[in-house]
Amino acid sequence: MTGWEVPIGAAIAFAGGAIATGIAQSKIGAAGAGTVAERPESAGTVIVLEAIPETLVILGFVVAAMIIIMVE
Amino acid sequence: MLQKMMRILVVGPKKDYQRIIDVLYQAGSIHLEDAKTDIPDGMVVRPLDTFHTEELSSLLIRIRGQIQILTPVDSKKHNKSPFIDKYASLPFKDLVVTATTICDSLEEKLRSLENRKGDLDVRYTTLLRYEKIIRKISPLEQQLPTLEGFEVTILIIQKEFESVLDIIHPFLSEITKNQFEFISADLDEKNIAVITVFSKKYANKVHDFLYSKNVNEVRIPQEYTNMPLDDALTLIQADKDAIRTEITEIEAKIRDISTRWYADLVTLKILLTDFLEETSAYSHFGQTEYTFVVKGWIPKKFLPATKKALVESFGESVVVHELPDDPSRYDDAPVFFDNPFWAKPFEFFMNLVTPPMYREIDPTPLIAIFFPLFFGLIVGDIGYGLVILCFSLAVRYKFREIPWICQLMSILMISSIPTMIFGYFYGEFFGDLGEHMGWIHPITLFGITWNRIEAIIPLLILTIGIGVFHVFLGLSLGILNAYRHHKTRHIIEKAGMLGLLSGIILLLGAYAGHVPGSVTFAVIALMLASIACLIYGGGSRGVIEVMGTIGNIMSYARLMAIGLASVILALVANRLSHELGILVLGIIVAILLHTLNIFLAMFSPSIHSLRLHVVEFFSKFYEGGGVPYKPFGKERL
Repeated sequence: MTGWEVPIGAAIAFAGGAIATGIAQSKIGAAGAGTVAERPESAGTVIVLEAIPETLVILGFVVAAMIIIMVE
Repeated sequence: MLQKMMRILVVGPKKDYQRIIDVLYQAGSIHLEDAKTDIPDGMVVRPLDTFHTEELSSLLIRIRGQIQILTPVDSKKHNKSPFIDKYASLPFKDLVVTATTICDSLEEKLRSLENRKGDLDVRYTTLLRYEKIIRKISPLEQQLPTLEGFEVTILIIQKEFESVLDIIHPFLSEITKNQFEFISADLDEKNIAVITVFSKKYANKVHDFLYSKNVNEVRIPQEYTNMPLDDALTLIQADKDAIRTEITEIEAKIRDISTRWYADLVTLKILLTDFLEETSAYSHFGQTEYTFVVKGWIPKKFLPATKKALVESFGESVVVHELPDDPSRYDDAPVFFDNPFWAKPFEFFMNLVTPPMYREIDPTPLIAIFFPLFFGLIVGDIGYGLVILCFSLAVRYKFREIPWICQLMSILMISSIPTMIFGYFYGEFFGDLGEHMGWIHPITLFGITWNRIEAIIPLLILTIGIGVFHVFLGLSLGILNAYRHHKTRHIIEKAGMLGLLSGIILLLGAYAGHVPGSVTFAVIALMLASIACLIYGGGSRGVIEVMGTIGNIMSYARLMAIGLASVILALVANRLSHELGILVLGIIVAILLHTLNIFLAMFSPSIHSLRLHVVEFFSKFYEGGGVPYKPFGKERL
């Protein structure tokens, strides 16, 4: 039987990754929108760049899942 | 993979140079190089006599202008117009004369019609404005003084500058010796209409003052003043009707001209643009006293057809000389992707990076293998796979004339097959619907039941394992690329990276008890040797990069994480519809949620699979910076 601290811990792990990804993506997105406006042919590259910080939230998700599974 | 390129020199009699250029242009296979440099056997090649393109450019501008005025006549039919054959067979000079004659004959007529139509459009818009203003001020008509010798002027002021009225008022009062009226009403959401009535003897001073203050003054034309506003509105309506009728007549005339001439002008435009493009390449050609010289790269598979076309037109008088294979020229060679049909659509992704160098490995076939695999691993649902397959087939059929959509849909189509295979593996058909109905169950393999919700850790290990394989493959290709470019340090650096990563994995294996402890010393020795290689090959940066590469491998965990998010959304769709308790409502909710999930499943896994290739995989071997193959060729009519 696990207490409230397990889901809270998992939530913090996930939220940290999500917030960091959000901050990074907002900056890349703003710069990317400017780039695409100037050079529409770079849209594909910008989409890939926009996906790069998602590693953080995915790792946060993995850690959260592992906290829940392993502690149980 | 990249097609082998041949470097060739085409030499022919100078008198035939125009025809030789035509044949090469039609063949559309040579990537031109400057023919005046690097010529063997001490030939002195001079630039070709300059061709004046100004006349042709101005003729094209005229044709484009006229096409813009005309109404397009069924764009599909005009491609098959019989005029194409008529014009295409004309020699260049006759073509220019014909185009000029047609342009001259149409120009005056079209210009006068267009000008008249433009004037009428402006007048119509102005009338609409007057009408709007008059409609607004008509309720105020009763308040206006009906004195002879007074002038009515309307001012339009933006609401945000309403305070300007307080400034204008005392000035008008001073100019007109207080003989004026000042009535305001809202014109629309943004503007206020202000009617000023003042003695005509002050008119000039008032107008000068308003002009100096930049106030937007609307003067109702003479023909609509001096009459009740209702009559003015009726008159404006009549004028508007007359203008519309005349515009319709003009449009009918333009349509008549379009029916006869649109296809001709479009055909002439295409032919002359082709010719202009052809002549723009003239700076690449060269000449000697008696010969005309063209130099360039050609894909090996196109060489026989090009030779044949030249022999058919000129017999033995034009020679195609294959220049000797010179590795020092490889960096200048353009790259031409020539992949098998199953890898062809994935060339689309190569547009995201600069083309590979000629000696580099073309990663397209590898993308064609791993992209669908990753996509399938993430989405992994038989039902979703079927929907994606049908969707991609339908969109591909609907937009079969747009190449990039066809390519994208082909990629989705190919990716839907592993999606169904992994769906069978995970036992998923629209989430857990198939399992609930007893149609399908997760496969048990290596003692693990591959139900994605329960087998999170095994899936995580599997995806990290895939990451290790993919990154190791990238590093191995990096060694091969470095070997082709004779870069010894790069070879040693990448081999060091491979050794160090292998050592870390073996140590982890030993720690977990999967690798015998007796190899530990050998592993540590391997790691030390690898670190030495890394420092020799890449300096301190080489060692730091180990952390980056481990991060790259961990990044493959997304294959599990995004897939898990997708399957949880599918479960939510099924559970929610079940909880609702009303069959029809439940089915609708399930369809909506699954549709949303499928669209997300088409987008997100594609982006992430692509990212794993471009960021994690390419960074291990791909250099890029190659020259794309751009053949000197003709736009097909």
